[in-house]
Amino acid sequence: MKQIELNINGKQFHLLVEEHEMLSTVIREKAGLTGTKIGCEQGSCGACTVLVNNEPVLSCITPALKFDAANITTIEGLSQDGSLHKLQEKFVEKGAIQCGFCTPGMVMTALDFVNHNSNPTIDQIKEGLSGNLCRCTGYKKIIEAVAEYAKEVNGSQLTVHSLESANLKSVGVSRPYIEASKKVQGIADYTDDIKLKGALQVKFVRSIFPHAEIEWIDTDKAMKLEGVRYIATGKELPITFGVLPISQDENAIAIHKTRYIGEIVAAVAADTEAIALKACKLIEIKYNPIKQYLTIEDSLKDVGEHEKIHPEHGKQNNNVHKKAELRFGDQQQGLKDAEVVSKMDFTFEGVNHGFTEPHSASAFWDENGLTMISATQVSHYLHRALAKTMEVPLNRVRVIKPHVGGGFGGKGDPFPHEIIVAYIARKTGKPVHVRLSREEVFLTNHGRHPSQMTIQLGADNDGILKVLDADIAIDGGAYGSFGVVTSYYNGVLLQAPYKLNNFGFRTYRVYTNKPQCGAMRGHGAVNSRFAVESLIDDIAHKIKMDPVELRMKNFLDSNTLTVGQYRITSNGSRESIQKVAEQSNWKNKHAKMPSGHGFGVGCGFFISGSALPIFWNELPQSVVHLKVDFDGRVLVTSGANDIGQGSDTMLAIIVAEVLGIGMDHIFVIGADTLLTPVDLGSYSSRVTFMAGNAAKNAAENLRAEIATAISKSKNVPTDELNFLDGRVFSNDKSTDLSWMEAIEILTANRGAVSVSGKYISPKLGGDFKGAGAGLSPSYSFGACVAEVNVNEQTGHVKILNVWGAHDCGKALNPLAVEGQLEGSWHMGIGQAMSEEMRYYNGLLMNNNFLDYKIPTSLDTPDFHTNIIETNDPEGPFGAKECGEGALHPVIPAIANAIYDAVGIRITKLPIKSEDVLNLLKEK
Amino acid sequence: MMAENKYHLVTSIEAALSLAKQHVQSFKYIAGGTDVLVNRFQGNDESASLIDLSGIAILKEVHADTHFLKIGSLIRLDDLKKHEIIKEQFPALLKAANEVASPILRKTATLGGNILCENRCTYFNQSAWWRESVGYCLKCDGEVCIATGGTKACFSKFVSDTAPVLISMNAQLEIIDEKSLKIIPLESIYTGDGINPRNLSKTAIIKNIMLPLDNSFKVVFKKLRPREAVDFTSLTTAVSLVQNGKIKIVIGGIDPKPVIVEGMLDVSETLIQDAVKKARIVDNDYYSRAYRKEMMILYLKQSLEELNNK
Repeated sequence: MKQIELNINGKQFHLLVEEHEMLSTVIREKAGLTGTKIGCEQGSCGACTVLVNNEPVLSCITPALKFDAANITTIEGLSQDGSLHKLQEKFVEKGAIQCGFCTPGMVMTALDFVNHNSNPTIDQIKEGLSGNLCRCTGYKKIIEAVAEYAKEVNGSQLTVHSLESANLKSVGVSRPYIEASKKVQGIADYTDDIKLKGALQVKFVRSIFPHAEIEWIDTDKAMKLEGVRYIATGKELPITFGVLPISQDENAIAIHKTRYIGEIVAAVAADTEAIALKACKLIEIKYNPIKQYLTIEDSLKDVGEHEKIHPEHGKQNNNVHKKAELRFGDQQQGLKDAEVVSKMDFTFEGVNHGFTEPHSASAFWDENGLTMISATQVSHYLHRALAKTMEVPLNRVRVIKPHVGGGFGGKGDPFPHEIIVAYIARKTGKPVHVRLSREEVFLTNHGRHPSQMTIQLGADNDGILKVLDADIAIDGGAYGSFGVVTSYYNGVLLQAPYKLNNFGFRTYRVYTNKPQCGAMRGHGAVNSRFAVESLIDDIAHKIKMDPVELRMKNFLDSNTLTVGQYRITSNGSRESIQKVAEQSNWKNKHAKMPSGHGFGVGCGFFISGSALPIFWNELPQSVVHLKVDFDGRVLVTSGANDIGQGSDTMLAIIVAEVLGIGMDHIFVIGADTLLTPVDLGSYSSRVTFMAGNAAKNAAENLRAEIATAISKSKNVPTDELNFLDGRVFSNDKSTDLSWMEAIEILTANRGAVSVSGKYISPKLGGDFKGAGAGLSPSYSFGACVAEVNVNEQTGHVKILNVWGAHDCGKALNPLAVEGQLEGSWHMGIGQAMSEEMRYYNGLLMNNNFLDYKIPTSLDTPDFHTNIIETNDPEGPFGAKECGEGALHPVIPAIANAIYDAVGIRITKLPIKSEDVLNLLKEK
Repeated sequence: MMAENKYHLVTSIEAALSLAKQHVQSFKYIAGGTDVLVNRFQGNDESASLIDLSGIAILKEVHADTHFLKIGSLIRLDDLKKHEIIKEQFPALLKAANEVASPILRKTATLGGNILCENRCTYFNQSAWWRESVGYCLKCDGEVCIATGGTKACFSKFVSDTAPVLISMNAQLEIIDEKSLKIIPLESIYTGDGINPRNLSKTAIIKNIMLPLDNSFKVVFKKLRPREAVDFTSLTTAVSLVQNGKIKIVIGGIDPKPVIVEGMLDVSETLIQDAVKKARIVDNDYYSRAYRKEMMILYLKQSLEELNNK
């Protein structure tokens, strides 16, 4: 240990540091400045950027001792005298902050960049930020914020645009997230930023075999290490769990055998992470490897009983986890009716969510039972899983979700690390904390399934679709997760946005000895959507019809049923494709560019919340509570998990709108299972529709309470009372009260008033088996046009532009909607071009942010963003989802643009240069 | 007994050499540290002592004498552009430096560090747990090369982007060791052995990178990588032409050392064939062996054409 002196943000620190301790750890753990984030620990993501003596430094790969006596500025040091730095202001104003986890590093890098480039071009900004990864925004709004800040530094006049809509005062107005200012200052707490006194730190021993019996585990040496407090092994946690009631197939720690390389085999809790890590290396384990299954093909084959990955699962002697099949109409007849048929085989690698905040959790027990603080996007299912595995009543578990650094489906399941810290906290009587390394995040996975599919699509010569038949196999990895749902979604979500009378699919999900797959943005349907949009493009080409025109001929109408009895309400498919076609000058570009340059189009649709809960029960899908007291402030409590997508802000907007008050009168508490009523969480793009409707219902109930009180007091009929601009007034203005006066009347002789609102999905769907899959009270629609250059000598594809349009019903917060769309397109581009989980004998090869290739700002094209509004009849103020569906059309649009450019059909993702080159040679 | 972890920030070459001698059993010099510290994080470097050279001012100077431009080894990649002489006479070096990693890393990473960057392989640049799972490879004291299945040689890739350009311009190194100061061609430090890719003595320090000023080079630099930032090279080519029609081809990212082929511009086909023969490309990268080979040929053809037209 050495003592160093650091001046951090103007304050002098005298700190004892380890010889090889990194600056990031010293800043976070010793100076207590947790605004500096750790995303990758190896300098590949930029979240840890700080300024040292006015130069940006990646603090996670910088020894603290290098900078003894240095002046350090962290994100916390930028605001002065209570005011944000101008650059921070721009980040807030432009909507450049979503989950906020990359924000501190991004701001520090941008600040240094503008200091050295006072008048930058957009390309220079992209280059300047290219070492800082963002997974939420698609960089567009960040680049805009930096560009505007640079202009302002230069003294140019800025145009301030206002998006006030005509009749509504809160809904439809672009605004930053309510917590944006906190995030941009680095003072928003994420799970790993919350330091519990005396907490033990946990590290895991993970399996080095894909499939092996555990003969014995010897923890003696490890237990003797000073500072080790507890070592847990599998037999202590015998109760299985899983997010779906039908797939409770996982133990927190492997018991008799391990099913993938990376599965937790033992957990050590110690006074420090370093001690826990050291102890992990002292644990000896004897494994007996057994036959491993790493591919879909192998897992479909018959195997011996003792070789099954889950011997307890199913009667078949293979590793098939789920087979789903549904058929509507007559596919044979459809094929006969079709004058042109396109049939292709597709292959997709698995991809990972790549959220920038690694998983983290803390647990402690007290007189109230278990408190779990975790980076989760579904507190409710974690609540249930903890009660089950800890064998305590539901009322002895509290789950708190702090700020979450992105989820995208990857923080939706209950996880082993959460159960383990809960368990060790009980056994030791101490708070217990864990944070996963980036490698562990990748091993935990739950990402998009690697898939193989054969799909045929038939149409007549007028371009009317006659038949769609899909045969799909998905590689689920070692456990169930959301996989049963994924199996269905791959098929059922093909029944729109086009009218199809003869439609059928069969999906197999297999277990393999790899990290498990689950739900990821656009859940289940991204790959099969890619296939169908590619086939449509092929048919359009075969019958010499413009692919936009062909799609226009086949779109389902509004207010109709699909062949599988999905109720389509509002439908902006036509508006979406027309918008992007017009904006991209499609008519004059598609099929008219020189070789190597092309335009492609794709469409998509997605559920706006699953109409059925995962656990069958009679609870509403969402409940929101409001409380108003003498001070006039309305407290909104909701179990919905804001994970950076802006749902807390959405709730506040809705409540403000209904009550006619300003956002400064609203306070939101989200996702604390003790304080907030149940919401099923952030998955299936359900929160705006369901929690939004519950909030609207609650606000209407509160408005009614206020109206009743005023009616009695002032003798005006309740239906003549208006709530607008912070006033409550009668039509003739004979009663005209300020909000505070109205609240005084409400609370007189009564005190604080609490009301509740709820959302229950209407009964939907057919009565056949599997009818529930993909049912939603509303669906979103969208389209993308992509422009690409293909280098015919190297096979390299450069995406130049993406024009996107998405029907979100009504944009409650247009700035946030744009952010969701741009983030979706960015993620789609990653899957299209560079992202894949690569394995070597079951061992994940690219489990870090250097080798797992999330597009940087330089790899991300210009997005031209269009919000399409169709005012859904049941959505809150007409709104429906915008967080997932937009991802679907972008990937096929890129592949179809490649076809337009060079005439090759892409049937494999990601689109690697070498595959493109090989296809060009085969042409 | 394991040596105690130590961190030494030195301000003179003498102090560095003296500490190196003292800790010769287990030490590593670090300049920017962006390579070494990541390797340490993954457990691929476990040196007890780190001797940080970044405080040595003399290693940050750039100056020209009659025949050479001398670039101090601790010049950061991002700082190269601040020197007019480099901009004017060695623009290819700037281009190469600007394609290393990301802008923020280039503000820490040094030119000396980049030319000494540790060789890389898909099966080596992984955590200790990972390497245990895969079965340790030759480069981490195992018995077999995972990439090739062979047992004799390690083919970890040489990944510096600046070194190929520097070599193509006949750069030399001024190297200080305990008792000597010597000047050697940059290419001579690379051994071609993936396990021990450089032959510099452990305690040696590169003082200057020297570029000859009396030759006028035209250089074409190309780099293949999946993303436009952050990524290490999958293939780097630097092809130089001097007035007399002499060509020097230097290729990185494909072999344990830079592959070098020299000859005249009028026999460029032969030069490319020679490069293909020399390059020991294996499947240890994001791109396949076959693709990198094909791109190597393409890049060289394109580079030679560009030089022909210059």
